[in-house]
Amino acid sequence: MLILAFIMAGCSNQVSNNNGDTISSEQPAPAEKSSITDDNKKITIIHSLPSETLDPHNGWIALRAGVTETLVRLDENMHVTPWLASKWEAKDDVTWVFTIRDDIDFQDGTKLDAAAAKASFERGITDSKALAASLKIASLEANGQELTIKTTEPLPAYPTELVHPTTSLISVAAETSMGKEKFNQAPVGTGPFKVTSFVSGKEIKLVRNDAYWDEKARLAEVTFQSNADANIRTLAFQSKQADIVYHLSPESLEAIKQEQDLSVESVTSLRTHYFTYNPASNNVTDIQVRQAIDKLIDRDAIVNDIMLGHAMPANGPFNSTLPFGNSEAAQKLDSVGALQLLESAGYTAGANGKLEKDGKALTLKLIAFSGINPELPLIPLVVQSEAAKIGVTIEIVSVEYPEVYIKDQTDWDISTSSYLTSPRGDGGSFLNSTYIVGGSYNPANIHIDKLDPIIKQLNATGEVAQRNELTRKAVEIINEAMPHSYIINPNILVGVNKRVANWKPGAEEFYIVTNKLDVN
Amino acid sequence: MLWHFASRLIQLVVVLLLLSIVTFILMKLAPGDPVLAILQASDGALSQRDQETIREELGLNTPIYVQYGSWLRNVLNLDLGKSLTNNREVWTILMERLPATVYLFLGAIAVLFIFSVPLGWLAAKYKGRLPDTFSRLFAILGASIPSFWLGLLLVYVFSYQLNWLPTMGSGTIMHLILPSVTLGFVIAPEYIRLLRAGLIETLSQDYILAAKSRGITNRSILFRHAMPAALMPIVSLLGISMGALMAGSVVTESLFGWPGLGSTAIEAIRLRDYPVIQGYVMLSGFFFLATNWLSDIGLVILDPRIRLQKVGRI
Repeated sequence: MLILAFIMAGCSNQVSNNNGDTISSEQPAPAEKSSITDDNKKITIIHSLPSETLDPHNGWIALRAGVTETLVRLDENMHVTPWLASKWEAKDDVTWVFTIRDDIDFQDGTKLDAAAAKASFERGITDSKALAASLKIASLEANGQELTIKTTEPLPAYPTELVHPTTSLISVAAETSMGKEKFNQAPVGTGPFKVTSFVSGKEIKLVRNDAYWDEKARLAEVTFQSNADANIRTLAFQSKQADIVYHLSPESLEAIKQEQDLSVESVTSLRTHYFTYNPASNNVTDIQVRQAIDKLIDRDAIVNDIMLGHAMPANGPFNSTLPFGNSEAAQKLDSVGALQLLESAGYTAGANGKLEKDGKALTLKLIAFSGINPELPLIPLVVQSEAAKIGVTIEIVSVEYPEVYIKDQTDWDISTSSYLTSPRGDGGSFLNSTYIVGGSYNPANIHIDKLDPIIKQLNATGEVAQRNELTRKAVEIINEAMPHSYIINPNILVGVNKRVANWKPGAEEFYIVTNKLDVN
Repeated sequence: MLWHFASRLIQLVVVLLLLSIVTFILMKLAPGDPVLAILQASDGALSQRDQETIREELGLNTPIYVQYGSWLRNVLNLDLGKSLTNNREVWTILMERLPATVYLFLGAIAVLFIFSVPLGWLAAKYKGRLPDTFSRLFAILGASIPSFWLGLLLVYVFSYQLNWLPTMGSGTIMHLILPSVTLGFVIAPEYIRLLRAGLIETLSQDYILAAKSRGITNRSILFRHAMPAALMPIVSLLGISMGALMAGSVVTESLFGWPGLGSTAIEAIRLRDYPVIQGYVMLSGFFFLATNWLSDIGLVILDPRIRLQKVGRI
């Protein structure tokens, strides 16, 4: 059967488009082009992360699918800008007043006012422990279009918290009439698209919300699917069964390039892959050893050979294109410099060529993991190879959850880590959670004395330019103390059929289905 | 007969209870932290104090026997709890996903029979000749191909190159074909071998020779006499195959984005969503035992010898 299928495959040069019409693989069928009108424009998008629920407060998908919106949003430069709220101000350390636009209705026709927004936040913090923990709401007060939020502690960058998809505003009135279970299958928000059907873990069907408060969506229908397998997503893209496909693997790009109807957008992400050094390990206590390891990371090889060019060498926790990112060049591979540093730290070459100190060879245990990024386990191999050349042995141990291993064990020297370091367009939360003892990204309990006053100052500053300046200062101190070695910012690879118009993927991966998204 | 049903029911309850204890302990021993998964929903850049608060609210900081006791108490009240990551009722999640898995299983079983019956019959009929060799080669191929690779190959050929079938998703019979072939093909070899052996043995029985000597047609001998007898071990194997189907569905569903129980289980395991994992294991265990039970009943119906033996015992 397979042999027969291969023979037939060899004979065929036909593919079918998204509407199931068979067309030549060379160019779109003219018939299809001419038949596209505003009322039948449709698109299929495939993302990598399946979603069990459309509950806007327990997942990102409702906002990504253009069903819900938030008070504020990030623009393409990662600045917080108005969305459902036209303006906001901090009355004091813990009091924020948001003025909600007066011309917005939910998709069920109920008006969005401060009382509706208050009900939405109350529902969110009741139904989502994560949201309750991040918003830290002490009280909410509604007065016409003015929503006053009092927080349990001073949070000067509070609007950045409200950028997150899980802070989406929903119509609680709709939930009351539909019932929670039904509502979570078809939430009612203020977005340009309404849900017509949802199959958990697989697919959302959307139609245009004709009563949208902003410019009406250009597409009539959207199918938003998910599949965790990168190969299947790639094949769906290549067979034109999907128009936009997220998270393609770099290896698939060569094949995609052969198709003239397809293109790939490569966007530097807000994620950073890095090494964490164990502050409790005698092997890496000496900063010269950490600096030597940093010099042994061939970031260019990782970018070019592993990521096939779809990444950026990292020189700090934040993507260097961000306003608070470090603009200095990333460290290049420097084996000679690394050897000098290790010699200065007291290591000398032993009889077998291995570097040793006090008769003990320098052997480092490196914790590796893969997570959802296939390149992560390969990075330690590059470093291991370079280290071996100067006589340093790196033993790689693969674990499923490095943060759990780091927390529970002490027998490690270096660990691979990977986090979204500025998902809300601000570095404050990463600095707090990674460099303060007790932070959720700090299982190794890293602490830098000089950094504490900067973070404290940052936590008390609301002005964006000042925050950016303080974040850059913090990065300088971090790079000087080197508790981590930042390696790369991987790119997000998104396949886009050339018939898609007015759309580019954002680094934040929040706003996927928009009112501007169109097809030719 | 009543005693037979009662004893099977008791067995079911005991096995499910033991299964729940073992799963609960293994889940808790495995590395990973559900609180980290919960915090992922909002990127969770939070303090360890926040994490501790959530852990306390969910009762995850109590001793394991207390957690198990609380879970068991809820289960006895027909409450499997709520998902830690999306706050939905576990029962609702499982029931929502169950139909897709059942369709996939039925599709896979259909594929399994489409492959194994003709190939098993050809191999038995032409024992030692080309069809037999082909059938055995096919069985070896099926047994050695990993399902994820076969699935990709099928998608490449039938979706990308030929554009006959959708690459992924569900909703129509066309969506069901590739996942069913992927799942059924890997299980089929065992059935081909068993059917071949069963048919060879049955066709050499005296009563078949007697039938032949009475001038009964080959077709009639095959379908009315030999095939039912040779299918007997297949019915037993079907019960045992439920485990393989369950395991295979995890890979197949994830590959094809098929919205069944397997893909839910994988996601729940990744996120350490304990209530969903526990619910999935209980449901799988129930189906495994129930299918075995049904295959026993099937054997009683198909095989008069067993039927008479059981009636005699009852």
